[in-house]
Amino acid sequence: MRLVRAELVKIRTTNAWWLFTLTAVVLAALTFLLNLVNTNYLLDHTDALTEGLGPEQQQAILAQLKPDVIAANLGTSGQFFGLLIVLVMGVMVATTEFFHQTVTTTFMTTPHRSTVIGAKLVASALLGALIWLVTSALTIPATLIYLASRHLDAGLGDASVLRAYGLNLLAYVLWAIFGVGFGVLLRSQIAATVTAIILYLAGYIGALIIFSVLENWLGWEWIQKLQVIVPSLASQLMVTNAELPGSPPQWLGAVVLIAYAAVSGVVGTLIVRTRDVS
Amino acid sequence: MSGGRIVVAGLTKQYKELRAVDNLSFNVEPGRITGFLGPNGAGKTTTLRMLLGLVKPTAGTATLDGQRYADLKDPLRHVGAVLEASSAHKGRSGINQLRVICAAAGLPRGRADEVLALVGLTPAAKRKFKGYSLGMRQRLGIAAAMLGDPRVLILDEPANGLDPEGIRWMRDLLKGLAAEGRTVLVSSHLLSEMELLADDLVIIAAGKLIRQGPLAEVMDSMGDIGTVRVRTPQAEAFAKQLTEQGATVTPAEGGLLRVSGLDAPAVGRAALAGQVELHELTTERPDLERVFLELTAGKAGIR
Ligand SMILES: Nc1ncnc2c1ncn2[C@@H]1O[C@H](COP(=O)(O)OP(=O)(O)OP(=O)(O)O)[C@@H](O)[C@H]1O
Ligand SMILES: [Mg+2]
Repeated sequence: MRLVRAELVKIRTTNAWWLFTLTAVVLAALTFLLNLVNTNYLLDHTDALTEGLGPEQQQAILAQLKPDVIAANLGTSGQFFGLLIVLVMGVMVATTEFFHQTVTTTFMTTPHRSTVIGAKLVASALLGALIWLVTSALTIPATLIYLASRHLDAGLGDASVLRAYGLNLLAYVLWAIFGVGFGVLLRSQIAATVTAIILYLAGYIGALIIFSVLENWLGWEWIQKLQVIVPSLASQLMVTNAELPGSPPQWLGAVVLIAYAAVSGVVGTLIVRTRDVS
Repeated sequence: MSGGRIVVAGLTKQYKELRAVDNLSFNVEPGRITGFLGPNGAGKTTTLRMLLGLVKPTAGTATLDGQRYADLKDPLRHVGAVLEASSAHKGRSGINQLRVICAAAGLPRGRADEVLALVGLTPAAKRKFKGYSLGMRQRLGIAAAMLGDPRVLILDEPANGLDPEGIRWMRDLLKGLAAEGRTVLVSSHLLSEMELLADDLVIIAAGKLIRQGPLAEVMDSMGDIGTVRVRTPQAEAFAKQLTEQGATVTPAEGGLLRVSGLDAPAVGRAALAGQVELHELTTERPDLERVFLELTAGKAGIR
């Protein structure tokens, strides 16, 4: 417990924490505004937009305009960048110690190295939750105000809305943990940060492309379902509000993400336990 | 203060093709300052890191009152260490570096201010570490080592970057700590400083033990490399006379002769016999630097 406190003191006594939080808040505000404008436009021009479209496409647009979906979407604005920030922050929590060589002092203070990594995982998870909290403190009330102003009947009373917000929190926590595991694994601050960012972004874009190419090429439909093993896509699946037909169940996304967080944390710990510090 | 005995037994560290520490055994006693000497690359830092559980020995043990460092409960309350490359987060203030350690070690937060005052860094407490001078960083390291009021202190080249005043301050500090019964193990390349500071010496080269024992004993073990200083107006004649008696004489300016191979009484008797007028006759004890260089001759060199 005191080690978790020590980790939090470490974060609090550098500039990093407020830089991360500030960036997350600003990006959340921007994406919220963007989403707001977009939703507003859709709501105002629904008829014009759906005119002449096939019934399936019409359905897709209308599904997005259900009040609880709007509530979920707007309230989780900023998630894309928020998760990235939390990931990088987790990486930092692990790698600054190697970068600044404070790891010598840290391990001298606590020779039991696994507990140090454990404390880092917990502290990062808390920080991830904190960043979720400050971004949500902005987006959720704003969403509720907007919904009220449009006389849309949805809010925190809806199970699906609450679940979306809760899963959003879980995603923040898991990506923070994932970041620490990743940082411990690679140790080099720059390498770990860059790789994490690339993996995160490429996970969204690259994996989608690769999987559709594979599907077309091999003609195996189930391959599309394997997408869920890519962390970013698993996370997206987990937080998607509507269960779309044909896609893997939501809980699977959570399981995959938890597995990644656990494996990276454990492997990182095992490596650090015996490695020489010099 | 009781206990605090360090025992290094058969300690070995093999890096890929290099044996950095080679079957090294020595003891460090409480209540004394032990100087840990060796040429660059001798394996001092590696030994200290193994002692502190940071580097895993290939073989052998390093224990503190029979316990491995990693098995100590609350190690900072037993051992304080300043390591060569001990560093700190550049963007964190001095006082906060110490508070982090306090939090992790379960020490009261106020200790940070106390030790900072002890090393004279209070005025710079809130400044960021990146703005610290070399000597200030070293002082911060010493402050960190003192946080847990440990009975064992391990310092790797602590004098590095300290000003003359700082070196004196550290000498007094370490002597005071040893006088309280604490164990002080300190590595350094400043041999003249070590001569003033150390009670015991452990000298290693190429990972192996060369000599260990009380300072005086180590110095005397090289007794015959001492020289005698003589000053006389009849330098030339006296030099010739001494050489005939088998001494090696190196003349210097102002009638000064450095004689080796004869001790001071023998030189005095020779002067009496030869009716030579003497203005000075002193035995020059070899200094630690000389002894060290003799002991490690041929074994030094970066590996
Ligand atoms: N992590 C490592 N990997 C490989 N070799 C190493 C490692 N650490 C140290 N060495 C080697 O081990 C030897 C002993 O190094 P060490 O740092 O212990 O010497 P030292 O006595 O502290 O020297 P100095 O007086 O220069 O500080 C050196 O030859 C060094 O190159
Ligand atoms: Mg060294």
